[in-house]
Amino acid sequence: MPIKWVLHWQPNAGHTVNSQILAEVSQCVESINGVKDGKWKATLSFYRPVIKEQANAAEFPRDFLGISLPEQPSKYYFVLRGQRLVLEADSTIQTIMEKLQSYKTRVALNFEGVQYQLGDFQLRVGKVVSIQSESLRGIVMEMEYRPISSWEKSHKIMGEFFDIWQEALSKRPLPGHFVHMEPNFGEFGLSGQYTLQHTAVQYATIMLQMIASAQSVRN
Amino acid sequence: MECVVQGIIETQHVEALEILLQGLCGVRKENIKVHELCLKSGPNLGSEASEVRLLCNLEQPEPTWTVRHVGGSMRGAGADQISVLVRTMVESKVSKNVLRLFYLLGYKLDHELLRVGFAFHFYRGAQITITVVSVGKMLKLHATDDSVPVTPGIQVVEVTAPASAENYNEVATAVSSFCEYLAPLLHLSKPGVTTGVVPTAAAAAASLMSFSGGNNNM
Repeated sequence: MPIKWVLHWQPNAGHTVNSQILAEVSQCVESINGVKDGKWKATLSFYRPVIKEQANAAEFPRDFLGISLPEQPSKYYFVLRGQRLVLEADSTIQTIMEKLQSYKTRVALNFEGVQYQLGDFQLRVGKVVSIQSESLRGIVMEMEYRPISSWEKSHKIMGEFFDIWQEALSKRPLPGHFVHMEPNFGEFGLSGQYTLQHTAVQYATIMLQMIASAQSVRN
Repeated sequence: MECVVQGIIETQHVEALEILLQGLCGVRKENIKVHELCLKSGPNLGSEASEVRLLCNLEQPEPTWTVRHVGGSMRGAGADQISVLVRTMVESKVSKNVLRLFYLLGYKLDHELLRVGFAFHFYRGAQITITVVSVGKMLKLHATDDSVPVTPGIQVVEVTAPASAENYNEVATAVSSFCEYLAPLLHLSKPGVTTGVVPTAAAAAASLMSFSGGNNNM
């Protein structure tokens, strides 16, 4: 499976995301000869425990995420970020969770947009929208390099491409920049060979950052 | 959704049952060794208690895991007229850290069993699976190498077939028809309806064993 970096837009202090930034980012991809190649969509759901009134909520995980990815529509991924756990399941696991009624999905987000081909790279630019309200909550990008599936071996070329991309974007006066956070995949029990479980962990990590950014804007 | 019937057979007659099934199904048997962990929600989780089963297939060199949720069964006059149980059932293959996930979500181990035996998967009016297993309990936590039979000398037979709201009647009929072939050896009925062993089992088994010994064609 090709290596992928998942990036999220970090607004400058006092700024938020808006659709103009998204448009500029897309135009920038096209300006470096990215060729449009269709659309993509991933979803992320927050699972919250259904607990009895007298129970201590701290007993249960607060960062239980469910993720579906476009590469494998028949699969679903659970991440417990705090406990460094990632699980791959058939998508029927969502039906099982509904039937158990012990956890319910409270907030669901769509990551959706356009994908581009650029030589051996595939780029995806996407908006993050709440399914309930359709409001823009963030911007993400996926940077995939097809020839390599080893995380370590890909580091140099991914880093170089990321620098090229940042430089191209910096020519536009945008109030923020893309950030790449590299989770410690080993802590999640994942090997150096890239899989969709690695992608799920990256999305879970990004959520934490996006929540932190939103809170700091509110503060 | 699935249609289900169950029965029991004395271990001494299992070989005869296997011969009969080999002839009826026309497929090779699949060996079964499954570690089943039944988890229940902790006291503070969920407005009602919930139960989920984790199945670890130990037959392959690398164990594989499945999560299974068995739901409520069909009730009412329509259900009473059907000789099989129709119930909801959902399964999902999962990666190996599923037990840790459910523990972290607040589920506790209620009991665990080891099922060892064989199964036949075939099509006869519906996609049918028949499993014949000895059910064992572990003497120590998760010690699958150290189990004792729950019912010594008795094995459990289960016939299941996936069904939908549109076709469960046809599937139920197919399962019932198939079960009639097994009647001399064992009686299959809805889970929870106890029937015991069949009085003709010994004679039927003897007949099958002698037939199998003298003739390779069925």
